Amino acid sequence: MKVNNYEVPEGLYYTKEHEWVKLEGGNCRVGVSDYAQKSLHEVVFVDLPKVGVKIVRSQSLGSVESVKAVADVFAPISGEVTEANVKLADSPELVNQQPYGDGWIAIIKPSNLKAELKNLLDAKSYADFLRTQMK
Amino acid sequence: MLSRTHLYDFHARNGHLIEFSGFEMPLWYQGIVPECKAVRNSVGIFDTSHMGRALISGEDSTAFLNYVTTNDVAALEVGRAHYSVMCNEKGGIIDDFIVNKQAEKEYLVVPNAGNREKDLSWLKKEAERFSVEIRHISDEVSMFAVQGPNAQKVLQEISDEDLSLIPRFGGRNVDLDDIKATITRTGYTGEDGFEVFTWDSPIEEPSKAVAMWNAILDHGKSYNIQPCGLGARDVLRLEAGMCLYGNDITESITPFQARLGFVVKLTKNEFIGRDALVREKAEGAKSVRVGLKMLEAGIPRAECDILKDSQVLGKVTSGTFSPTTNQGIAMGYVPREYSKTGGEVEITVRGKNLQAVITGFPFYDTSKYGWQRTQ
Repeated sequence: MKVNNYEVPEGLYYTKEHEWVKLEGGNCRVGVSDYAQKSLHEVVFVDLPKVGVKIVRSQSLGSVESVKAVADVFAPISGEVTEANVKLADSPELVNQQPYGDGWIAIIKPSNLKAELKNLLDAKSYADFLRTQMK
Repeated sequence: MLSRTHLYDFHARNGHLIEFSGFEMPLWYQGIVPECKAVRNSVGIFDTSHMGRALISGEDSTAFLNYVTTNDVAALEVGRAHYSVMCNEKGGIIDDFIVNKQAEKEYLVVPNAGNREKDLSWLKKEAERFSVEIRHISDEVSMFAVQGPNAQKVLQEISDEDLSLIPRFGGRNVDLDDIKATITRTGYTGEDGFEVFTWDSPIEEPSKAVAMWNAILDHGKSYNIQPCGLGARDVLRLEAGMCLYGNDITESITPFQARLGFVVKLTKNEFIGRDALVREKAEGAKSVRVGLKMLEAGIPRAECDILKDSQVLGKVTSGTFSPTTNQGIAMGYVPREYSKTGGEVEITVRGKNLQAVITGFPFYDTSKYGWQRTQ
């Protein structure tokens, strides 16, 4: 679905800090939303989390940076980072070009998904939230 | 209530607006990276009317400006400009600006946008014992910058004068597209280019300024001219090693510390700050401005610590991602004994200590970029 010109794909979960989560088997692929990448504009650097790192929900996973601004990426769920998107080192612009595709940031093996899923927004709720942000 | 320049409508329609020094200005139109590339590879145009413009004229104008600034105004001929700083009694920098000699007893000074009021108050106070007139003309004269290796070619299309005859830091009163202007071969990007002052263009009736802007954009089409915002302006000046007032230079920093000694003419008899600067020159500035290039991926920003062997040497005062060199670059201050080019340091970026090296200015390869490029 779309909110103004921001894409909000169904089937993903979202946070109010504009991260998205895709459930893939037992794992969670994480990235930043179309709203986040458009607000940041040209992404020139992504600070990726280290593989193997254990994180707690809401902790900083890393950051996405434009020339002028730094945006923290907060872990939407707790767990262990099993993969980081190393393509972003040479091509940080993938975050702008494909925020929900090749611009993904990390894969987390969740430690408490069932409980923490309650904290995430579904596409419709995130879309509603975006509408309130844009007033 | 934010102020607007003559070109506000254009910026609102085409750019991403932000607040800067009390003005609504475009941060970018297309994007900071493509705008930087446009300037380094061809030509870009910037609206810089948020900056101040003051005319200082009268019998004592030369003596007065020589008293309040550090550079030698008496050495300027009509049609010449120089970069200068205005210091307080401690030698601290009140502002940095260009001084243009318009006529035998008339100078155009261009304060930074954020220092418009401060500079005017200071100048008016110091002018009391001199026979000078200070006129604030920011609202009657617009100012654009046209920068890049093709800047002259673009302006040449709308001028009957041979612009190649204007030397670096030279100025000329010309008609551009039949509009009365003064152009100086100056800029804040390190590239060749001009700053264009359009006279008789009041804020309330900006049509002349708009006509000038549009004429330059039209004639720049074949050079793919891009309108450029404040984001690109800040990156380009940092790549060129130029200071940003408020970040790299402040009232707590002297021109010697900022490595701007070339604008301090101690041979001048008397000017505000001279005594303090003479002392500092003799002792040597304790901390100095250096360039910093990241050796690891990461973007240094203002306030980041600069470390050597776990000791904090100083702080970054300006930092960014440089699209021209494809790495993080910065300026900061370190003690003089650590300021040698090639020195390895670390910069603390968001909790991580990343390797960096001390460099000179500019950051780009001057054979490929900049007004002295050979390629």
